[in-house]
Amino acid sequence: MRRRSALAAVTTLAGTAIAGVVSRPGGNDRLLAAAREGSDDVTTETTQLLPETVHETTLYELTAPDPGPTVMVFGGIHGDERNGIEAAHDATEWGPDAGQLVVVPETDRVAVENDERGGIDGDLNRHFPAGEEPTSDLARGIWDAVERYDPDVVLDLHRSLGIYGFHREYVGQALFHSADAHAHGRAIADALTADAIPWYLPFHRFTPQESTAGGPLLFQKAAAELDATAYLFETTAFLLNHATMTEQSRLVTAHVLAAHGGLEYDTGIGVAGTGEPEQESETEPDGGTSA
Amino acid sequence: MSGDSPGPESGRGSEPSIGHAGGLEIGRRALTSPATVATAIVLIVPFALGWLRTELFSPLALPGYVIYSIGTAIGNAIAPRFEFWVYWVPFVGGCYGIAVGVGTVYEWVRARRDAGDDGTEANRSHSPPGNSDD
Ligand SMILES: [Zn+2]
Repeated sequence: MRRRSALAAVTTLAGTAIAGVVSRPGGNDRLLAAAREGSDDVTTETTQLLPETVHETTLYELTAPDPGPTVMVFGGIHGDERNGIEAAHDATEWGPDAGQLVVVPETDRVAVENDERGGIDGDLNRHFPAGEEPTSDLARGIWDAVERYDPDVVLDLHRSLGIYGFHREYVGQALFHSADAHAHGRAIADALTADAIPWYLPFHRFTPQESTAGGPLLFQKAAAELDATAYLFETTAFLLNHATMTEQSRLVTAHVLAAHGGLEYDTGIGVAGTGEPEQESETEPDGGTSA
Repeated sequence: MSGDSPGPESGRGSEPSIGHAGGLEIGRRALTSPATVATAIVLIVPFALGWLRTELFSPLALPGYVIYSIGTAIGNAIAPRFEFWVYWVPFVGGCYGIAVGVGTVYEWVRARRDAGDDGTEANRSHSPPGNSDD
């Protein structure tokens, strides 16, 4: 019996490896290639935010020759969420086809260097009350830059420990969005699921969720005061490794850029072009048909 | 998956049906039945591979994935703040429980089939056709 059990185990292992390789979705190499394919005409400038302070951090401004949206991407608002930091760093090398891509990969530099969620004044993403001054030096410095660019789109990259709507205290595998982004939020979440979530990890499918306005988060303030279309992306560390979380963060950045016209790329599932969203929403009041 | 299963054979060949003692015997055998071992492997091993390396998740991991995930969802709802690796203990226990259930059915079917055969056959072997000495 032992030999047979061992044989069964080995067979299971081999079958697992083969089945996993054969049936896993392949990400979205075409989209990421389109994002990385920089035309020579894209200019990149860097600026130091909060210069000569402990918070000093680099902002990258990538400008395409054609007019288009200004998209701001933030990583490292929570310093221990390495997926967003790495994906944002990657995006500083991308080539938008239109408009401006503005990236701050290490927003809370102190937290990033300490590999901790919060920095000197705690959790940065609670320092942006709508209609009021930001409540810390770092938050004021970041918000100055946001006001200066007056972005059309804001994307903030995060990771949670569990799954939104599944683990009660966690918010992972969700794309939170401002009230004006129902169709885009649903389409981008579906696109991410199609790109990155195999059918045999069903609880990891992405959920779009309208965010309550008026909270103290950076993306909420940008939506409330600057009329930006704002997203907060959460992947999860639940059963996913760093490489997978980072790839999902790259994909959402590219999808958001494409959905708002910064990239000439049609995902074919309703984001930037002609396709219909794959499935109708059960929770979304407008059925995902209007922007 | 069968053949040299351990355990006393005495008194089983002449039983016309599965009595109380036979039930206990089935339960005991189910703890280490080949069907139990196989089921536990199927539930745990593919999922454990994915847990160790995300790239190794596969369709075979789906049963373990569902059991483990639902366990963490229930655990997180009733007792937040536990790290998720803690759920390996109830996960393995739960998978073994399910496997013993499968093993019990397997052993019960086997005992029924043996009891239905004529005495000498039943006394000789509990193996399925092809594994016995015929
Ligand atoms: Zn975060």
